[in-house]
Amino acid sequence: MSQLGGLFDDVVSDVDDVFLFSPSGSLYQRSVEADVPTVVVGTDNGVGADRYVELPLEFENVRERVRFGVEGGLDNGFIEEGDQVACALGLFVEDIDTVTRVRAGEFERSGVYQLFVNSRAEPAVIRNVLEVAIELGKKGQKGKRVGALFVVGDAGKVMNSSRPLSYNPFEKSHVHVGDPIVDVMLKEFSRLDGAFVISDAGKIVSAYRYLEPAAEGVDIPKGLGARHMAAGAITRDTNAVAVVLSESDGLVRAFSGGEIILELDPEAY
Amino acid sequence: MYALAVGSWFRELSAPAQNLIVAVVVLLAGLIAGAIASVAVRRVLVATGVGDVVEGTPFDRTARRIGSPTVQLLARISGVFVFAVAALYAARTLGLVPEELLIEQIGRFLPRLFVAVFVVLIGLVIADKTELIIDERLRSVKLPEATVVSTLAKVSVLYVAVLVALSQLGVATGALLVLLAAYAFGVFFLGGLAFKDLLASAAAGIYLLLSEPYAIGDEIEIDDRRGIVQEIDVLVTRIENDGEEHVVPNRKVFTEGAMRVRD
Repeated sequence: MSQLGGLFDDVVSDVDDVFLFSPSGSLYQRSVEADVPTVVVGTDNGVGADRYVELPLEFENVRERVRFGVEGGLDNGFIEEGDQVACALGLFVEDIDTVTRVRAGEFERSGVYQLFVNSRAEPAVIRNVLEVAIELGKKGQKGKRVGALFVVGDAGKVMNSSRPLSYNPFEKSHVHVGDPIVDVMLKEFSRLDGAFVISDAGKIVSAYRYLEPAAEGVDIPKGLGARHMAAGAITRDTNAVAVVLSESDGLVRAFSGGEIILELDPEAY
Repeated sequence: MYALAVGSWFRELSAPAQNLIVAVVVLLAGLIAGAIASVAVRRVLVATGVGDVVEGTPFDRTARRIGSPTVQLLARISGVFVFAVAALYAARTLGLVPEELLIEQIGRFLPRLFVAVFVVLIGLVIADKTELIIDERLRSVKLPEATVVSTLAKVSVLYVAVLVALSQLGVATGALLVLLAAYAFGVFFLGGLAFKDLLASAAAGIYLLLSEPYAIGDEIEIDDRRGIVQEIDVLVTRIENDGEEHVVPNRKVFTEGAMRVRD
């Protein structure tokens, strides 16, 4: 089977950098010893690599995972626009079983990396909110789909451009997303109307908020409803990030600066 | 019936033979009691999760290299101690140790030695664990000098443990005690002085979190700094005003008061 190697040499010939997605320690060691410019991408830096891009989520979708890793590499200055990058990652199993080649900057910068790293809120908070939205999307309520809108970060400004629909159940409480109790409260969440407001540090400030930003000029795909429109508008008016669970198609979308940055299918996680 | 027969047989034996039998029985009982004590201690330690807690400490690793994890080591020491007490009494019955006084002294000294050894071992484990926990907490702070804190904590714990052990053994520890007092005074007094503002802010912060006189989104003014509250935590309140974020220590709320803008 040695001639097979020759067949696929094209894939990895003349690459400038290698991106290893969640590699084992020995693999990383070998790649360092072979003097290959290596960037490690993963949810944690278990191998202690110098050039490391943190994945906020274990993206199930390979395109999303590669895109996040490469954008992170670009933003950190590990690679340059136009570099040829070989990405080694696990598609079917945990271990690395796939090698793909991309040109950095080949696809439009979606800002996924920026969404996590350069938002007002801490990356861990955004990740936790996404996880809550995904969990809510998976469970729904009594088998029925539910929708939800979380506005994360810049809470003071968000509170001032919204009004309460009812008494705030989170008043004088100190619940943070990521607290174990939030998992228990998930079912309650799906019953509450309006938006959730979450502060930079992850405190759930309020529920039942009716957002009233100026929606002029917000351009979101046709067919998405009022919830998405509100999310797009509030993120354009403030420095917040919005995470929306759609009631109609069940997808989780993240908004920043009035635009959709990330689209995830809860069923895939 | 059997008991009676054994009893009469025993009485008919000569005194040295009686002693020998008693000594053997005591020794055997000591062996069994030691084994039971060892198993019991191990079970208690495992049930209370001590094994998992100490796992990963340098002491545990050293103990493992010798061949027995910490839990097993402690269990064995307790077993050996029980057996040692039994052996001592057996020796006395046989009259092997001539002086009664010596036996008494050893009998009094042995429990102390046991406690001292135990205290040192537990001190070692706790010291290692403290160092590990503090190191883990400080890992996010990428400051190499931060390891001084964990080392200091480890040494303090060890020092106290050794002090307790030495006083158990009856060694004069007066000078060491004075040193400890000076050290504790230094840590608490000077530490209190250094962290005065932090402590005052934390106390005020707890009040603010509990009663929430102002909440995220309110417009307030503290110490001539006016803006919208973005975040309240235990130590500081963050107020934002036109792209300027003021980080106000919570004690300011109490010393200067806060003004909440209602409209």
